Amino acid sequence: MTPDAKGETVLEVRDLHTHFFLRRGVVKAVDGVSFSLRRGEVLGLVGESGCGKSLTALSLMRLLPKGGAQTIKGEVLLGGENILECTPAEMREIRGRRISMVLQDPQTSLNPVFAIGDQLREALLRRKRAPLTRAPHAEVMKEAVAALRRVEIAAPEQRISQYPHQMSGGMKQRVVGAIAISGEPGVLIADEPTTALDVTIQLQYLKLLKRLQAETGMAILFITHDFGVVGRMCDRVAVMYAGRIVECGPVRRIFEAPQHPYTRALIASVPKMTGPVGRLTTIEGQPPSLMDLPVGCRFASRCSLVEQRCLDAYPGTVRVGDEHTADCWKATPA
Amino acid sequence: MSAPLQDQGPPLLRVEGVRKYFALTKGILFTRTLGHIKAVDDVSFDIRAGETLGLVGESGCGKTTTSRMILNLEEPTEGRILLEGEAIHGLQGDALRAYRTKVQAVFQDPWSSLNPRMKVGLTIAESLIVNAWGDRAAIDERVRELLVQVGLRPEQAQQYPHEFSGGQRQRVALAAALASRPRLIVLDEPVSALDVSIRAQMMNLLKDIQAKDDVAYLLVAHDLATVRHMADHTVVMYLGKIVERAPTAALFDDVRHPYTKALFSAVLEAWPGQAAEEIELKGEVPSPLDPPSGCRFHTRCPYVMPHCSQREPALREVSPDHFVACHLFE
Repeated sequence: MTPDAKGETVLEVRDLHTHFFLRRGVVKAVDGVSFSLRRGEVLGLVGESGCGKSLTALSLMRLLPKGGAQTIKGEVLLGGENILECTPAEMREIRGRRISMVLQDPQTSLNPVFAIGDQLREALLRRKRAPLTRAPHAEVMKEAVAALRRVEIAAPEQRISQYPHQMSGGMKQRVVGAIAISGEPGVLIADEPTTALDVTIQLQYLKLLKRLQAETGMAILFITHDFGVVGRMCDRVAVMYAGRIVECGPVRRIFEAPQHPYTRALIASVPKMTGPVGRLTTIEGQPPSLMDLPVGCRFASRCSLVEQRCLDAYPGTVRVGDEHTADCWKATPA
Repeated sequence: MSAPLQDQGPPLLRVEGVRKYFALTKGILFTRTLGHIKAVDDVSFDIRAGETLGLVGESGCGKTTTSRMILNLEEPTEGRILLEGEAIHGLQGDALRAYRTKVQAVFQDPWSSLNPRMKVGLTIAESLIVNAWGDRAAIDERVRELLVQVGLRPEQAQQYPHEFSGGQRQRVALAAALASRPRLIVLDEPVSALDVSIRAQMMNLLKDIQAKDDVAYLLVAHDLATVRHMADHTVVMYLGKIVERAPTAALFDDVRHPYTKALFSAVLEAWPGQAAEEIELKGEVPSPLDPPSGCRFHTRCPYVMPHCSQREPALREVSPDHFVACHLFE
């Protein structure tokens, strides 16, 4: 699908701030994140551990971890409605039906003491708002089988009576996928769904996601740290560093002409399958502490192009090309 | 059994026709053996001093069991492993302790090798103390030297593991492994838990140390690009068997075995729009409890022929030093 064939904006995030309020201080884990997601599109959210990509996803789901995390500012517009203002009851209606999520480890998403079919049944009945006890069992189970078939699980009739421990990692992740899309959500957040899988199984899973997306037209926010997965899956990619998106643009542009020095360094440090084998490029130093962020550019302390103005003030978001932005003083506006 | 790598001089480590079967039993008092899991089934390769051997394959292929046997944590069911010409299994007492100073390990998760309640200096010094390497001052000096060698500051010996970042903890684990000046270090997914930028730092560091200390590495990894940058030779395993073995450059230039091809085509390159031959494997790895007959890959192989399920292919040399176990090359 080409970018112009894609539809309207289904999710828009504006200036999202989610901080942890701890006794020791405030951890600004997500600190001014804005992006939008269109129907039928895959947006990659990449960055290293601690950059705030997973917390961004949890903020969108309104499922913040206990222990002082709070979204203090910003808007999350799902079909035009700011879901940050929804009540918990309204959020329960939204989750699974309009926005859904797949996590890295399928083991944590499935209940080990219930059969797969029962766990699917719960999701299917919730979608129909039917009470759990009074649904005609045979009919729901037929739907559960269909849901498993949709995620290409072989012999689904046998599988529905099995427990999670009887399945491989790849298969469990498919079941989680089946549950996530059972409510036909418009937006799917996939948080590193293939990191725990073997490479050949990863490829199968990514292809499945693409196929399901083509069928349903859902938008996917794909969180990963792997540029290979980005290249394979995404239409656009947003690069996060220390709580902010520092560059966002079409995948091809980001790989061929990255504008932010962090993106450039990150791509250069990935070992390649072709080309010369030599010393790898590294990024020296560590990201800044999220409790004590610098006033200027957050990458300045590790950047090779640093200047005085980088330390004095945070650079604005510069439009460097078609749908391509970078937060850097040295970026040339298009 | 296959021929060892053709090269001059005796290898540092030789793995010779090694098998490891785990019995699957039922019952506590009256145990019955239900079958055997053939985790490693007739594996042979050599590692030379100062070189890196990459061991790749998916979960359950036997790469971890192989490395555990080399670390002398498991006894092979059959076959033997020789370090500098001496069989390593059956060693006891001082001889075993001496072996452990020569072969060390760094694992994926540095937390597993560090005691959270012990200052890292002591963790690094532990193997030196156990082996009565020297007096206190000499050991302290060696710990400082090791910390500098792995890119940390000498005074960080006084810190606890939680005070380090993930990449730094992996450096501490490496320093501890290097303490006794080993001849071989088993690196089990040493960089896969690290972030991209830190991963490159660690890989460069490992190469620098190898160039300086002439230590050999057995690199167990699933990421082919990492293996390409680190390893001199690469061994590809599937369900307990070696399917392909070659010098890394030769392997990456000319992949032969269908399984290796599938592995390579599953590598997602960051550069979109590459039109490489793509092999998507159907299904999953079969159970090692009941591996397929003949060639173990025949159930998923896109080039399967009738006799693949009947005869097991031998590992044969298809070009100098490049071995493949596949009926396509007979």
